[in-house]
Formats: sequence, C-alpha cells, structure tokens
Amino acid sequence: MAFTEYQSGTRGLHRGGPLGSLAILCGFLVVGLVGGGLAVRAAALICVFGLAAVSSERLWPFFRSLRFVLTFAVVLFVAQALSVRDGRTLFHVGVSITDEGLRAGAQMALRFFLIISSSFLFVLVTDPDRLANAMIRFGVPYRYGFVFILALRFVPFFRDELRTVREAQRMRGIRTRIRRLSDVRRAVRYTFVPVLVSGLVRVDSIAMSMKGRCFGLHRTRSQLEKIRLGWADGWAVLLAALWVTMSVLSRRYGWF
Amino acid sequence: MVQQDPDAQVCTLRVRSEVAFGPENLCLPTVDVRRRVDDALAIVGIAGLADRKTTTLSGGEKQRLAIASILAMQPSAVLLDEPTANLDPMAAKQILELLGRLHQEEERTLVIVEHRLAPLMRYAPRLLVMDEGRIVDRRAARVRHDLLALGLRTGGVKAGQAGPAASARTHVSLRDVSFGYPGQPVIDQLSLQVRAGEILGVIGPNGGGKTTLLRLIAMLEKPESGCVERDADVRMVFQHPHQQIFERSVRCELDIEGTLSDEARAAILAEARLDGLEEAAPLSLSLGEQRRLTVASAVRTEPALLLLDEPFIGQDRRNVAWMVGRLLTRRARGGSVVLVSHDIPLVGSLCDRLVYLNRNVVITGEPEAVFERLRGQGLSAFTPSFWDEGEP
Repeated sequence: MAFTEYQSGTRGLHRGGPLGSLAILCGFLVVGLVGGGLAVRAAALICVFGLAAVSSERLWPFFRSLRFVLTFAVVLFVAQALSVRDGRTLFHVGVSITDEGLRAGAQMALRFFLIISSSFLFVLVTDPDRLANAMIRFGVPYRYGFVFILALRFVPFFRDELRTVREAQRMRGIRTRIRRLSDVRRAVRYTFVPVLVSGLVRVDSIAMSMKGRCFGLHRTRSQLEKIRLGWADGWAVLLAALWVTMSVLSRRYGWF
Repeated sequence: MVQQDPDAQVCTLRVRSEVAFGPENLCLPTVDVRRRVDDALAIVGIAGLADRKTTTLSGGEKQRLAIASILAMQPSAVLLDEPTANLDPMAAKQILELLGRLHQEEERTLVIVEHRLAPLMRYAPRLLVMDEGRIVDRRAARVRHDLLALGLRTGGVKAGQAGPAASARTHVSLRDVSFGYPGQPVIDQLSLQVRAGEILGVIGPNGGGKTTLLRLIAMLEKPESGCVERDADVRMVFQHPHQQIFERSVRCELDIEGTLSDEARAAILAEARLDGLEEAAPLSLSLGEQRRLTVASAVRTEPALLLLDEPFIGQDRRNVAWMVGRLLTRRARGGSVVLVSHDIPLVGSLCDRLVYLNRNVVITGEPEAVFERLRGQGLSAFTPSFWDEGEP
C-alpha cells in the first residue's frame, strides 16, 4: 500500500471535506515555514501523527512511508549540529558541538519532517477529485483544478516507471552509478530521458483523451458532485487557525 | 475515441467522475450528467463499479470505462484504436461482445482499428484494409483475399517446421516458488522448468502472474519461498519499449552491449524492417518500430534465455513473422524462450509447451492438451478456435 496516494476511509479527517484537509495542511505548513519555537513544531508534529492515527486504519504503513524522510531529517540535524559554531560549547566530537548548533539542527529537522509528514497526511486523507471539484467550485479555474488531479495521478506513475527503467538497465548490463561528473550526463541520458519520455507519452494519451471529451470547450463546466462545507470542515479550519495563531505568537513573542 | 492502452486514457480517479468528465465539459445540467453517467455505465455493464477508484480496475474494466466515457458524450460514431490489444483474451472477448451489442442493439457507428478480425466477422463489418496509406475497401467475404494480395494474413502466424526437440539441459528451474505483493498473493507454489531448445508460452488473464513469472526468472524479484535456479545468460524484452531504449541513435542502441560491424548491423536492421533508420533517434520511431528495435537489441546478443513480455502488440503480421523467425532461430541454436502473449493462435502454433497462469491455477503441458483443459473449464477465449480465422 503506497501512502503517497489517497486512501479512502470514514474515520477522522475522512469525515470532513477536502477543503477542511487543505485548511489543516495550510495550518501545519505555516508552523513549518513561518516558524515558532521548537515546542510548537514538536507539538504540531505530534498532532499530525495523532490525526494520522485517528484517520487511518493502520498507522504503521504511514510511519514506514516516512522512513526516508526521517533519515534525511536526521542528516539535516547532524549537519547543522556539526557546522554551527555559535553558542555555548557542550562537548567535542572532533568538532565543537554547541547548544545553538543542536537547536538549529532540531529546528531544521523538525521543520522538514513536519512539512513532509503533514503533506503525506493530506494526500492520505484527501480525495484529489473532490479537492479539485471543491477548488473549482470556490473559484479556481477548472483547468488549474485538473492540473492538480493529473499531477497527483502521475506520482505513482513516475515511481513505477523509474523502477522499470532501472530494471531494464540491469537487464542490459548498464550501470548508472555516479562517481565522476561525466557519469551525471550518462545517468541523465539512461534514466531521466526514458522516464521523461514515458511521462510525455502518457501526457499525450491523456491530453488526447481529455480533448476528445471536449475539455476546454467552454469557459466553465458543470459538476456532478456538489461539494458542501460540513461541521467537520469547520473544526478543521478552527484547528488550522489555532496552529497559525500559535505559530505567529510564538515567533512574535519568542514563546515555546 | 477509445485508445489502445486502457491505463493511458483515464483522467480522473473515480469511475463515476471519469464517465461524467465529458458531459461536464459540455456544461450539461447536473441531472442530465447523472442520467448519462448511469445509462453509459449500464450499457457497458459496470454500473456496480461506479464508486470504485479507477486505479483498482482491471484492464478489461478500464477499457469498458473508456467506452462508457465516450458513450456518455452521445457521439454519432465511436472510434476505437485496437481496443483489445492490451487485454487478456477473456477481457478482449467481453469487449468485442460489448462492441457487437453496441452495434446491433444501440445501432452505434463504430470505427475499429484491429489486427484480430475473427471475432468481429460475425457482425459483418465493412472492412477497410490499410497498408502504407493505401486502402482496399471490400466486404467481409473478400477481405482474406485482399489481405493475401497485400502480403498480409489475418490469422495467427504459423510457426512452420518444428525445431529440434528440447534438450535435457535445464536453463531455468523454479521449485515451489511463491510470490506476492502486500495483501495480494500472485504465484503460489509454482514448480516449472525451462529446457534448452524450448519455447515456453505463458498465457492467462491480466494480473494472473505472467509478468511476475518473467521477473522471477530474470531475478528482478526474489521469491517469498521456494527457489529459482538459472543456468543461462538472460535478456528480457519489456512490454513498453520506451522503458528500455537508452541511446541517441538506433546504431548506438544496437551497440550498447558491444559494437557490431556495419554489415552485421545493417543486416539486423533490414531483417527488422528498420533499414534506413540507423542514425534516427530511437524514441522518434513509431511504437511498433521501437518494439522491433528492443527485440533486435535483445536477440543480437544471442542470449541462452530470452524473456519476452507481449512483444507482438501493435505489430502487423509481417513483423510478427519476423519476430517468430528470430525466436525459432534461437530455439534451433539451443536457446530457450519464455514468451508471454495474449496472441493465443500464435503461441499455440509456436510454443513447445504452454503454461496457463491465473494466480494459484496453473495448467502446464503441450499446447493442445492445455487448450483442451481450458475448453473444459469454459475458458474458450484462451483457445485458438475463438481467435483463429484459419487459412483462407
């Protein structure tokens, strides 16, 4: 089961509509990007996991999908801790580790982990069709709404294509490890080009399919499904507003 | 227009929204959109799938969905570009029956590009035979004559003389192999051998485990239990050619695994009907040409074991005949071939043995014996008689 794809359900955030999920994502992105103290970001991260727990039948696959993100977050933390010289020296491991370095590393790692995990949560609980419909209903031009749907459709496609291309390389004895700068060109040609061409072929087919069904014929289009805001969306917006407020206040007054 | 690849034409993520896509673009009132969606789904027989995610549909269901999406637009004619090319024989049979129903009961005009004509003949279609831009317009009764005049044939390409008997040497041995994806068992305790000098055909429904079997033999997947032993160098031709084309010219592509002499390269290209394209960018070739290039690239290394995943899709009979010739040459030289194909008449006449694979249902044996058992199980779509037009 791929957790970079929407999983249908009836619990937690699934009860609300796509706009509620979008509001919550925006709330967490503000905490991740605008800032606040370490405690605010850590609390937001716990909230993300809590929402994933109540919205998903099984939590473990959600964590498993974040393994690579966690690894990268740890790398960010270590890199910051080793490179920041400001602050009070706490101990030496060949280089001085300072309290500022640890703080900066934790901030960066948390920021990265929060942004990615909240995005994963959003994808997990948001039906892209319904989100696009909601966006169109609330004023986004429908062409842009469908760009969003198609972009999401291509995520698993590119993942599968990359895997197949790498396997095809193996079957022909092609190695694309990058050891020198010149290897980059070879890797691009042998990996990026076939994947890109696959993508373009698919785009061409889908464009033909859409055009064949009169996409873009009129300035507007009708919608089979009417998206309405429900009470769950109200709670979601409230929660998002709470996190934005916390983030702004924390940054403004240096709280937490 | 309904395209060849059922995956490549779905724009949305739900069956209902996919069918509604066209009528919504026409700005029809919601009530009309809903009525058209319900009608179209009912006509193609997938009304029960209306709330399913499109990604969970089988190939046949996706093709029905594509047809429903077009019907919801209420067009005066529907164009279909090889609508069964990527489908297993059972799904293809159902699609062809659906098309027949649309033609007879709904009185729709259908324009179908198709290589496999036999199942369509019963609807007495008007046939246009095209070759290099030339059209021959004849009724069904004369079409075989016309095809012969063009040097084409409608039925399965016959393998001709049988090659030498498979030797005792085993190239691949699978013992009690099981494999699956999370929550989805695919192969269950499969034991199978591929002998030197043998062409083994693999048939079965989409999702039955055919490609997975090739991947296990190629050791791109590790079995969950059991073991795969291979005593031969292997080349694999994937289903989609653009995934395994890497170089900037046809010449470089053929030379990836060692430079060929100009004469040898020219001979390979001429045989594959790619002559004159030596300096062309491979990805600018037509899909059929790309497929022939990937087969030629694999065959030129003379691997002891050749794995082919649906190499005949989109090829006319002349090109299929070339591929068949290459496979027979491999067999005559003691190589072995594992061939996954939905072209039942062809695998029936070409292969020494067949494996019908549908997850835990495995039928192995000589082609006639396998077809006999499939007929007994009501799977006539997997037997040549359903598809073969016979000799004119």
